[in-house]
This record gives sequence, C-alpha cells and structure tokens, in this order.
Amino acid sequence: MRVFVWLFAALGALVSVVPFYWMIVAATHSSSELFSSPPPFLPGDDLWRNIVALEESVRFARVMATSVWTALVYTVLSALVSAMCGYGLAKYRFRGRGVLLAVVLATMMVPFQVLLVPLFQMMASVGWVDTYQSIIIPFLANSFGIFLMRQAFLDFPDELLESGRLDGAGDLRVFYRIVLPCVRPQLGALVIFTFMSQWNSFIWPLLMLNSEERYTVPVALNHLIGVSHVDYAGLMLGAFLATLPLMLVFLLFQRQFVAGLLGGAVKG
Amino acid sequence: MTSYGLRRRLAGWVFAGPATALLALFFAYPLGASLLQSLEGGFGNYARLAGDPSFLQSLVNAALILVVQVPIMIGLATVLAYTLNQSWLRFRATLRVAYFLPAVTTLVAYAVVFRVLLRTEGGAVNQVLGVEIDWLNDPAWARVALIASLTWRWAGYNAVILLAGLQAIGREQYEAAAIDGAGSLTTFRRVILPQLRPVVLFCSITSTIGTLQLFDEPLVLTGGGPGDATLTPILYLYQVGFKRFEFGYAAAIAWAVVALIGALSWVQFRYFGKERS
Amino acid sequence: MRRIHALTLLALATLTASCATGGTPAKPAPTIAASSPAKLTGSIEIWSWDVAAKALQRLAPEFEKAHPGVTVKVTDIGYDNAYDKITVGLKSGAGLPDLITLEDTVIPGYAENFPGGLVDLTPVAAKYKADFDPAKWQASSTDKGLWALPWDSAPVGLYYRRDYFTKAGVDPESIATWQDLVQAGEKVKQATGKRLFVADLSTASGFTTLLQQLGQGYFVQGKVAVNSAAAIKALTLLKTLKDKDLLQNEKGWDGRVTATKEGKAATQPTAAWWSGTLTGEMPDLSGKFGVIPLPAFEPGGSRTSANGGSALSITAQTKNQDTAWAFAEWLLAGKERQVSMMRTEALFPAFLPALTDPYFDEPQPYFAGQKVNRLFADQVKAIPPVELTGDDKQAEEFLKKAVSACLLNGKDPKAVLDEAAKQIAAATERDLAS
Repeated sequence: MRVFVWLFAALGALVSVVPFYWMIVAATHSSSELFSSPPPFLPGDDLWRNIVALEESVRFARVMATSVWTALVYTVLSALVSAMCGYGLAKYRFRGRGVLLAVVLATMMVPFQVLLVPLFQMMASVGWVDTYQSIIIPFLANSFGIFLMRQAFLDFPDELLESGRLDGAGDLRVFYRIVLPCVRPQLGALVIFTFMSQWNSFIWPLLMLNSEERYTVPVALNHLIGVSHVDYAGLMLGAFLATLPLMLVFLLFQRQFVAGLLGGAVKG
Repeated sequence: MTSYGLRRRLAGWVFAGPATALLALFFAYPLGASLLQSLEGGFGNYARLAGDPSFLQSLVNAALILVVQVPIMIGLATVLAYTLNQSWLRFRATLRVAYFLPAVTTLVAYAVVFRVLLRTEGGAVNQVLGVEIDWLNDPAWARVALIASLTWRWAGYNAVILLAGLQAIGREQYEAAAIDGAGSLTTFRRVILPQLRPVVLFCSITSTIGTLQLFDEPLVLTGGGPGDATLTPILYLYQVGFKRFEFGYAAAIAWAVVALIGALSWVQFRYFGKERS
Repeated sequence: MRRIHALTLLALATLTASCATGGTPAKPAPTIAASSPAKLTGSIEIWSWDVAAKALQRLAPEFEKAHPGVTVKVTDIGYDNAYDKITVGLKSGAGLPDLITLEDTVIPGYAENFPGGLVDLTPVAAKYKADFDPAKWQASSTDKGLWALPWDSAPVGLYYRRDYFTKAGVDPESIATWQDLVQAGEKVKQATGKRLFVADLSTASGFTTLLQQLGQGYFVQGKVAVNSAAAIKALTLLKTLKDKDLLQNEKGWDGRVTATKEGKAATQPTAAWWSGTLTGEMPDLSGKFGVIPLPAFEPGGSRTSANGGSALSITAQTKNQDTAWAFAEWLLAGKERQVSMMRTEALFPAFLPALTDPYFDEPQPYFAGQKVNRLFADQVKAIPPVELTGDDKQAEEFLKKAVSACLLNGKDPKAVLDEAAKQIAAATERDLAS
C-alpha cells in the first residue's frame, strides 16, 4: 500500500515539475535556440546574458521591487480584512449577514472583465490612474479570502469563545488572542493565496499603470511580446524569477500548516 | 440576553465593517453599471443569448469541464492532500512545494511551455505517448488538452487548501480511528471526509466559479478554437466586449453567467454544506 | 427576508449607477483646427509598443530640440493587450494620452464604435493624401473622416528558400501565378520533402491577405461580401494547397518561427517585416532566403497584398491638439524621419516619397545580396486598397471558424463562406452583397 502511495506521490511530483523545469531550461538558452527541434532539455549557458538583457529591456530589478512591496502591503491589509469579515460572518448573527454573504459570493461570481470599464471610470474620476493605491485598495475586500475564512471559522468551537468572554476579554481581543492563533493553517493558506492573487494580477495593473517606473512584473513581462518579435528567453527567465518570491511566501507560510497539526488540539 | 445579543450584533458589524465598506465603495457602482448596461434596450440582449450558437456552445464546453475536469481535479487534490498528510511519508515538504509549482507558474510561461510540449511534430507529449496527435487543432483533442492542462495547473493548489483543512482535524481523531482498528481507507472515508466537508465545499464552489469564469488558459492555449470547441463563456464575453465593442451584450453574458454560478453554488450549498454554525 | 434585502441592495446599486455619469461619451467627433499657432508649447504623451516605441524614443528628443518648451513623453505599453488598454480608455472617456499607435485593422472599428473618441484629421492632413500608400490611407479613413496618419506599410511578397528551389530545379523567377506556385510546391516537396508554407489554419489571416490581393475586404459598400467570387477563389486556393498537403499547419507566432527555423517550409507569403524576424531569430540561415513578388491569381493580376502596419491617431482626450498634430506631421509626413525609421527600426515607410531613398537599393547580404527592400518598396504603391469597417473584427471571428471548417474538416469553401456570410449579416445587421 505504502509503495503505491509513494509511487503516486512521486509521479505527481514529476508531472508537476517537468514543465517548470523546462521553463528554467528555457531561461538559460537564447530565444532562437528554443526554436530548435527537439527543444533543448538541458540547461544552456546564456543565463547571465539573458539576465543582463532582461534588466536592460524592462528594468527587472526595480519591477520586482515594486511587485514585492505592493503585494506585501496588499496581502497584510487584505488578509486582515478578509479574516475579520469571515469571522464576523461565521460567528455572529447580525442584521444583514445573509445579504453580506450573498454580496461576497456575488462579487466572486461576477466576471471581472465586465467590471473593468466602470471601475476604471471611478479610478479616473478620483485621479487614481497611474497610482499605486489604484492597484492595492479597490480589491482589498477579497471575496475569495472572506469566503475561505468564513468556512474556516464555521467549525471553530463556540465554547472557546464563550470562555474567552467569561474571562472578560472583548470581542476583538478574543479574536486576536484566541481565535487567530487557532486557525493558523487557514491563515497561512489565506496569506499564500492573497499574495498570489496580487502577484499574478495582470489586466488591472496593465490598465491602471502608465509609467514604466510603476510597472509590476506581469505588466513589464508583457512588453517582451512584440508585433514581429517575441523575447521568449526573457519571458521564461522573467517568469522563473517571478515565481521565486511566491515560492518564498509559500515556504514561509506552509510551516503554518504543520503547526496546524498541533493547533488541532483545541478541537474536542 | 438582549443587551448581550445586541452587543454581539454590533460586534458582528465591527468585524464585517471594513470589508463591507470596501465592497460598497468599489463594487456597488461597477456592478450596478454593468447590470444597467446589460439592460440597454430592454431585455433584448438577454433574448439574443438564447439564440446565439457561440454562447450556447461555450456553455456546453463549460458544462463539460464542470462534469469531467472539476471532479477529476478535486478528487486528485483530495488524494494528494491526504497523501501529503501522512506522517510516515518522507520529503513531504519537498513534495508539497512540487505540487504547488504549477499554480505559481506565470500565465505566459504556462502558455509557451504547453505549446512546446503539445507540438504535433517533435512535441514531448506525442513523443512520450508515441502518437501524432494535433492537440490544439482537433476539436476533441483540444478539449482534452485544455482539461489536462487545467488539472495540471490547479490540482496542487486545491490540494494545499484541502491540506490546510486536513491538518485542522485533530490527531486524536486519527488515533481514535486507529484504535478502533480502521484501515487508512476506512479512516479516510468515515473520519476525514465528513470533517473536510466545509473545505471540499469551498473547493468545489470556487472550482465551479473558476470553470464558469475560465478565461486565461483557453485564451493563451487555443484562443477558444478550433471553431468554438474550447470557447468558454467569459472568453466569449471578452471577444464580444473587447473585440466587437458590444458592451451591453457582454454585460448580459456576464449576468447570465452570474445567474448560472449562483444557481450551481446554491445547489452545492444544499447538498454539500449541512453547516453547523 | 434575505431576498428582500438582496433586492433592495441591487436597486440601490442600480440607482447609484444611473445617477453617476458614465458610458460612452456621446459628443460628436472633434475635428482638428486647420490653423496652427505660430509657436508650439506644452507636453504631449504617446502610447506605442515594440520597435515603433523605440523609434519614438529615439526621435522625440529631436522634436523637443526643434521646439523649445515642448516635451514629448513616449510610453511603451507593450503590444500584447495594448488594445484592452486603449478600448477601456475610449469606452470610459478617460485615461488616454494625446497620441496612440493603432494598427490599420483596428482603426475603423474604433472610429465607428467610439464616435468622438478620435480626432478627425481631415482639415490638416488631406493635403498629404497623394503622398501615402493608398491602401493605408483608405484603412485610416471612414466615410466620416480621417482617423489616423499612416506610419508603416506592410507590402506582402513571397519569401522562399533558395536551396530548396535549386534542389528541386525550380526557377523562382518563373513563378507568376498561384497555379505556377502550386506546381512548384509539388516539385519542391518531391525533391526535399518540405511543404510549401507555414499557416495557422485556425485563423483567417491567410484568407484575408489573399482576399486583399484580389482587391476585396469582408464588406463591399457596407454589405457582407465574404462569399463573393473573389472570397471563394481565395479560400479554394488554400483548400487546394491543403488537399495537396502543401500547408505546414503550425499554431501561433512561436509555431511559425519554429517551423521556419527548422526549414519545414519552402516559401512564406508574408509582409516585409518578416525580414526582421528572419535576421533576428535565425541568423544562421543567412543566404538561404530570397524574395519574389506574390504570385498573381490571374496572369497580369495584382502581385501584392498587405499584412499589418500601423498609424498614429490623436485622441479626443488630448488637451494639446496642435502640438500632437505637429509631432505626427513632423514624424510621418516627411522623408527624413520615415527613412531614418526604415534604416534603424526597419519600419517600412507608408510615405511614398521616402521610398526613393538610396537605402532601398542597397543589396542585403542576408538575402544573398538581393535588393529585397527595393522589391517591397516598388510594391507599396500597388497594394490594393480595400474597404475596412467597424464590423471587421466581428466578421473575422466567424471567418476563423469558416476557414478552419474548410481547411481542417474538409468542408466545401463555398458552403462555409455562404454560412459565414449569413451569420455575419445577422450579427452585424447588414445586407448580403450577393
């Protein structure tokens, strides 16, 4: 049995990694080498040249820095807003709760593409075009995150909340001191997914940002696709480098899943 | 009880307040505007949907993905998550990272890599399988390619969410099951799955929404083709709005999709989510 | 209870939306003032992409130098998704710069669907009509005005592999008609095993280029003409090539480049900008390519077509129309800058007087010394102008399906085009030409 589980796990990992591996290989070849048949399967020796070219063509270091700090600010604020809202929806019976849940679900259901024009009009009317806040603030209430946290809090034992309140702690205090530490695995997941959604966000920053010094990674990489020339090596290298911060966030916060095993002790 | 109850209500709004304010500020107008736009000239846009073969085909395609791809992906993700949660399995951290890789791959890279892998002549997939399939130009195979590449990209992501849910289940429950002499399959079915229900519900609802809003992958992989074989409702919406500039009709497509997602989610809530709150 | 709440909220949202100003600006198309002030001032911004953006970045300082007090900001918005950005800007009536780059194929669409979004250049630009590639000029105009000043042309010729033709014993210069080429293609395939050219059979672009060679667009005098005799002729040619297994079907840009690099095809009917791709992506194939004019459908028929090319438009959102026009005129309606952009960025001039520059007569080492730029330059004036409309993009979606049904599933050309014509007529509420 264990052998099969192992085989399954290993095969899954291989399938997951191969395309990613090829992306790294592609980042170390020149664009024209990528077009040979069969395509190269071993790393080449153009990595440094591609890095220099990428920095030259889209100022990649600065673009990465912009992406990192905007995504961090977004993640901290959005995770907080989502966790609070999810908790409120799951654990309190207040007037309008049903409507709010419906609205949260509705914003998740409405195709983003159809909101682009009116949202853009709003941003333009308040003069937010080509600003950082335009790519951070409108989407802070991340309905996906709210829904994730609501589902997580649904199972949270009420007795623990009550005992916290009996100790005289206020609602917010109970939330920060007792509740949040207990849902660390889900919080970890929330942080990972919130960061990911902002990091990979493309169409909205593309519409909002006009100055090259404010571009985020996906917007900058978009410039490597031209009319009669596509810089595939640069694209692959940029895409690979762009996954590194994501992987870092994942590695940092996936520990929380493991910690979650111990956190599970709160459940009776 | 009343004063305490009132306090709890207010506290509820304290927690939900910031998100509510943000949603009201930034989404009330766009949502309303798009709804109004879809109603320009009465219900004509909605009536037109019913007789639009491309839209209907896109719904059929979405249904196909919903019925075939989502169950495969969620099933695979559940098994992966369960596997990753086994304490005896070594290199778990490494495997976790490996499964998560596809989800963090940037879209452009995803597109290029799959185009290269799926090339008819000299493509790695055809070479491994020993066939000469024209993956992206044959209607049936283009769908298979789309389903496979979607599963590749998102199964690990769902596994991570499910893993978080799994790990919230106390160790004692596994141990209790083990003491009762249950095998790992029985434990999985009797103990784990019921506990996972809210998370599975979350995954299947978000996957349903993800399917009906599917856009990125068909756009970069097949462009909806050949013909309308891999056209999705939102890809069609995009073509109608941004290529044909029929914004009212595009908005009608959007709201028709919302209605569909709403109905499907409601059904899922009914059948999956006997919630205890 | 919940339901009532939800409805109230929705009503509220709708109310908010209806109160706020929004939607397409309904003002009439602004026309540029004919009299320009003596001294230009202010700053202008231009959106562009790829080599066009590089050309602007290179030349803008020259303009600033000639006009002290004027600043020109060039923003490279990237080509992929550029139109999403432009569409949202036009639709919401905000966020656009003074000048935008547009490809010919999108100009009528924007002009017709966003009246009041672009500035009509007729009063100041009409005097240049005879100086520009007539096909480009027509592409920039609708019956209501001139919406852009043509920038680069994209004359189509036939690139071919010298070594394959030599091996098959075919003289490329003897090819005058498509019929000749089909026969040559069969010979070359027999000798080398290579197909005739690379095509993406899931798109309509090959069909469209052939149709333009025959002097027709999707619409004729506003009526749907995609099932005209010319259209059927164009698609039948592609079907013949496909049936004889002479088409190398490859998906997308990367597919085409890869196949060409691997030498999978003996020829490629495409525009002059392809030279840049060849020299850039496959320098090792230097000396292997040559170019002849596109084969004609009938002896003596048109030997070129167009595929690509762009123009500069002034948006109605500009606050500095005069400076914007002065820059466009300085850049495009003159020999000096057009030749300079040909030399440096390989942007093939749409401004006809520029084509007499000696640069075009220089032999190109990559093409074994052939003067390919002269060949293309001589074709520019002969590109058949065709009618473009705001519904072309929509028609193209239907044609894509028709073309792939014919070429991939073996359906009859006339049948699929008749069907497409009906669908396009219904969708665009236009009449059928036949």
